[in-house]
Amino acid sequence: FVKAQTVDPEVRAYVYSLVNALGGSSADEDGRYVLGDDALACLRDLKRWLKLYDEKLNRLDVARCLAEAKLVGGDILPILACWSEDGKNDRVKSRVALACLELLVPLTWPLETAGEMTVNHHRHTPYLQQAQVLYKAGILSWDNCSILRQIVRIGLPSIALPRDERTSRDDGIIKLVLYFLRNVAVIRQIPNLPNQGLDMVVSRSATIDAFVEQDVFALLLTMCSNIGDDFNLQDVVLLEILFNLIKGIDVSKLWLTKLQRADANISELTASLATEKAMERANKKTAPSRHNRFGTMIWVKREDHKTTALSGQENILENKALFNMDKSKKWNKPKTKDKDIQHTIHDFNRFEDITDSATEQLRNFVEEFLDSGFNPLFTHLRKAIEREAERLLDVNYRQFFYGVSWFLEAERTRRTKNKNEKHPANLAQAYTEAESYSLVAAVLNQETFILLNRYMQNALDSKEWQDLNACMRCFTQILLTVQEMAASPLEDDQEIAENIQNRIFYEETTHDRIVGILRGYKDQGFGYLDACTELSHTFLRMLERYSKENADLQIRSKRRARQKKKDAQKEQETQADEQIDEDDSEREDMQEAVKVSKERKFDFNRFANKFCTQQSINTFVAFLNYYKELNNEQLKRAHRFFYRAAFKQDSAVLLYRVDIIALFYRTVTGPDALSPAVPMTKEWTEFTKQLFKKLTRKLDERPELLVEMLFSKINSTTFYLEYGHDKQTTSAV
Amino acid sequence: TDDNDDFLGLNEEVKIAKKRRPVVKLDEDRLLRADGIPKLRTIARSSSVTRKLRMKGKGHEFSDIARLLNFYQLWLDGLFPRAKFADGLQLIEKVGHSKRMQVMRKEWIDEGKPGYIRP
Repeated sequence: FVKAQTVDPEVRAYVYSLVNALGGSSADEDGRYVLGDDALACLRDLKRWLKLYDEKLNRLDVARCLAEAKLVGGDILPILACWSEDGKNDRVKSRVALACLELLVPLTWPLETAGEMTVNHHRHTPYLQQAQVLYKAGILSWDNCSILRQIVRIGLPSIALPRDERTSRDDGIIKLVLYFLRNVAVIRQIPNLPNQGLDMVVSRSATIDAFVEQDVFALLLTMCSNIGDDFNLQDVVLLEILFNLIKGIDVSKLWLTKLQRADANISELTASLATEKAMERANKKTAPSRHNRFGTMIWVKREDHKTTALSGQENILENKALFNMDKSKKWNKPKTKDKDIQHTIHDFNRFEDITDSATEQLRNFVEEFLDSGFNPLFTHLRKAIEREAERLLDVNYRQFFYGVSWFLEAERTRRTKNKNEKHPANLAQAYTEAESYSLVAAVLNQETFILLNRYMQNALDSKEWQDLNACMRCFTQILLTVQEMAASPLEDDQEIAENIQNRIFYEETTHDRIVGILRGYKDQGFGYLDACTELSHTFLRMLERYSKENADLQIRSKRRARQKKKDAQKEQETQADEQIDEDDSEREDMQEAVKVSKERKFDFNRFANKFCTQQSINTFVAFLNYYKELNNEQLKRAHRFFYRAAFKQDSAVLLYRVDIIALFYRTVTGPDALSPAVPMTKEWTEFTKQLFKKLTRKLDERPELLVEMLFSKINSTTFYLEYGHDKQTTSAV
Repeated sequence: TDDNDDFLGLNEEVKIAKKRRPVVKLDEDRLLRADGIPKLRTIARSSSVTRKLRMKGKGHEFSDIARLLNFYQLWLDGLFPRAKFADGLQLIEKVGHSKRMQVMRKEWIDEGKPGYIRP
């Protein structure tokens, strides 16, 4: 019997007998669930088993047995369902309910296939992940009772107490309830495991719908807006719940009206049908017009009287022959395997689509959250992070920054939506009051910037790319929000925005970091690529505008003062004999001199030049390689960058590389070209045309380019290729 | 006779380890072969590159670039038939990073400058 091998039979026997003794549906009472005599003790025993066997020995055996015995669907949920409203004061029943929750939390705890795993883990994890999907399906949609509401009910007496009157037991109960909600939000169908047909039942949309119906959102809102007063240590769990609800959801879709959404869906459909048709047409152009045994054979005459033979009628067409010659080659350059980007529960790059009703529900929640809960929660969290509170895990930092970026974007989207709407005249007053950006002020202060900068640098140094990704998104959203604040009609907002921008752009280290991130891209996945190109695009554009408006922008740059150091050394040598006793102070001075910060006038052109290097161009080329999947906004980003490089910063030479030119060529002509339905296509075509023209001219001017086009250019020759003479270097005095 | 055989080692079977044919690589040497970069350089030195490649100039930007890319593709196919166009370009780009290539590339460019004297 196979089952016997997976788990120790004795353990299984014990656990099964406990599950059996818990209770069952009774024939006498129309099949209603009846508790066993010692149900409470049984539940506690089961909890003990989980704790003392599974947890202590680091196995998942008991959890597996409980899943096989269908404890959750067969016992726990029915028990919770029959805890009726009128039984409010029934102490035994409420204690049973609490004991059920105590079991549910460890059973639904997220399982990750990462880190150290024993044989047991490997054996049980897939089964348990499948079982958890069943649990979630049961919890979200139980026939005759709202389970989530019952769970919240368990916590309510403790939540209602003022903070200083709560015992540690009360705190524990609140914690259990919140972790349970977190677990419910996390569970999803694991992609690699067999489908159980429950995708819709446990989807994000279903979760959101259930959270609304069973008043979980109300509880979350209450707790978020009262954090710091009535609640203190719950901030992290709340963040986790929010993160798991919003991750991967496209903000821009939330504020579309039903009609717009329908329109968008329809136009999406027409658009994709159109692309398909265009593809079909392009294929038809090259498809053979006769049957496949027609047997055309052609020779391609090459120089030196060489020929290449090709079969197939389509080769007669121009260019097709070379393409097929290439395609028939069998050897492929071995690729460095893409790093396995794990779709873990902490990943936010996976795109989630939600239904119309869920979109509406979520939007309502987000609006209320922004109005009341955002500032308290995120201020509280920021303080916790600054204190490095013990309750924070590493992933929470990432969740924090992702949350900030998501909600800032949501706030911006809501504003643009409101702005476009017409308001009746009598509402104008109330409207201007809401106009202020104070709703998200908690993350637009100096403390947050310092935190963000520090954390971003840390993530960059320790190569934690997902963390860095979250930071970059956060920074981008802050920049965009500040930009809109600066355009606000309120003078206060403008002033604050001015202040913030000044602070952001004052530090040269920030500038250098952003350039460094862009240059340093290497195989971190598309999500990362998207974030880092967006950040540099936004940063560069805003800095350009700001430095134009404030022509005398000063920045603080830290630079090594080599000259000073040399002087000091010389001095030391000449006066060595006299100054032996003053050596110490001398050394201190030198250290001071090595790292000196000084203010200097900001030169945008110089900064923009830093962006136009071979590495950053490589990054954007990697980004453009996805051109088929990029949306208009992203194409615009790539276009602006290449345009700046080629025509504003005079670095077009860096683009003259055969692979880059081939990619550009592919994007505008041929069957794989950008669809003309994309608005950016026209601008992009114009750009490539200009660039190609420039290249052709350059080839005649400087024939060396024919060789150099194969390589990334060397620094020393770039300037010559561009201008035709060497750089004038002023000799150092 | 047995002793003799042993002494001469005739009884022992001689094992012939078959060597694998070395895989052809696209390295510096191949790139510097006559049909490699030198061929590109002869084209570059002869009057006008664009005329040599029969590029038409203004108004034909895309077809001109297609011609240029085709030229590179055929050149690469002649030099290293094993690799596809895109793969071959990557290989060459990488070779270009070596010290020797960098020095040579610098020299090639310097040769085109006015007033160049061969060292």
